[in-house]
Amino acid sequence: MARIEYQEQLEALREDVLEMSDVVCQRLRRALEAYETADAALADRVIAGDHGINELYLDLESDCIDLFALQQPVAGDLRFVAASFKIITDLERIADLAVNLAEYAKRGDRDRYPEIDVVHIGTETVMLVEDAMRAYATDDADATYEIAATDDEIDELCGRASRIVARDLVRIDAVDDDLLEEVSRMLLTIRDLERVGDHAVNIAARTLYVVENDDELIY
Amino acid sequence: MSTEEQSLITTEVQTENTTRTDRPDETVLESRGLDVHYGDERALSDVSIEIPEHKVTAIIGPSGCGKSTFLRSINRMNDQIDACRVDGELYFHGKNVYDDDVDPVALRRKIGQVFQKPNPFPKSVYDNVAYGLRVQGLDDKLDLDDAVERALRGAALWDEVEGKLDSSGLDLSGGQQQRLCIARAIATDPEVILMDEPTSALDPVAASKIEDLIDELVEEYTVVIVTHNMQQAARISDKTAVFLTGGELVEFDDTATIFEDPADDRVEDYITGKFG
Repeated sequence: MARIEYQEQLEALREDVLEMSDVVCQRLRRALEAYETADAALADRVIAGDHGINELYLDLESDCIDLFALQQPVAGDLRFVAASFKIITDLERIADLAVNLAEYAKRGDRDRYPEIDVVHIGTETVMLVEDAMRAYATDDADATYEIAATDDEIDELCGRASRIVARDLVRIDAVDDDLLEEVSRMLLTIRDLERVGDHAVNIAARTLYVVENDDELIY
Repeated sequence: MSTEEQSLITTEVQTENTTRTDRPDETVLESRGLDVHYGDERALSDVSIEIPEHKVTAIIGPSGCGKSTFLRSINRMNDQIDACRVDGELYFHGKNVYDDDVDPVALRRKIGQVFQKPNPFPKSVYDNVAYGLRVQGLDDKLDLDDAVERALRGAALWDEVEGKLDSSGLDLSGGQQQRLCIARAIATDPEVILMDEPTSALDPVAASKIEDLIDELVEEYTVVIVTHNMQQAARISDKTAVFLTGGELVEFDDTATIFEDPADDRVEDYITGKFG
């Protein structure tokens, strides 16, 4: 096989992106755990760890740019590097959303909406990201469509939760600042978890592009 | 029959069985089942391709795959090799250039060629460009002056040589010599320009000028370029043909398709460097 070093760089990029996703998913799970157990110390560790993920993101971005500039990938290689370049952005943003969740974990009053299972929704979204990364790791085009379909179910869950909060909001007579902040925080939490699912779909869409040069899920 | 076809033929005999009328309007060159042998060795194997007019078509592939052989087949440069045998058909505007009534010299006026290494004649810049025109019978000084200037402008060389038309073409830089050869090729008003690795002997700056020039030339001409530089093919061509070992045309498609999503796994392996 010619261009052995180049092939090794491509494989290293795939492994590094997967490693980044492991770290990001672990952060998201810890943020959910901090939310569930109201563990402020754990939430602080999630928040503090974001700097490391940003560094990892910049390193991988640089690796992709080097590959574009120095190896000039084409065909399947080009699609793979271009997709990886986009996927690391999705992962970095998921990590930011994990930080948001950790922030909410430190301040939330979890008794107001017992019927909204934030941890359940969050766990579903983490699993969706993990599924998307598994599809990326194994070039599994079929799985990408399943991920998009599952995200629709998560969107439905989030929609129901948002409506509960919205109905509560219109029933409140005198809105004090603390209550308003609590309601806003719940809405933002739901929105952020929904966005994690959207990023998982982005990852799946880029994977489908790598495998089949198909942009159906991108737009 | 068009005037282009007529100009290729030394006799009035027209062989209807090899004149294609069902080709798409935009096709200027078409090969059908083209085989080329050098002695017992097969250099091209059953090559069928339609080359569009006013486009840049790049031909890529590993060494020995038949790229240059295909290019030379188009304007019958292979006729000069005794052991070379050509089978199949190659149509230029629907006329098989291998028909007996086609004059290869007239053909090469319509299908000019630029080679890997700049090869100006050991003559002045002016005479290099005027050479083919004089052979065609143009001898009026003013007409020649106009034609030489037009060709040099067309080759993006006029501004650099305007004051030294009497200097030897061999005194120009490598990049200028190659553009002089392009001026020489376009002076006789061809329709197609064949280029066989025209920038491989040039530095990157001179090569980029040739690439820019090709982009301009395609407004007036059809360009078919053989290149070992895949990035060059990707940059400058509209269509790309990939030949692989054995003289087989493996894939021919829009350049973006070849370099983003080739259909044939062997092409993917070749352009990504896993083979060849």
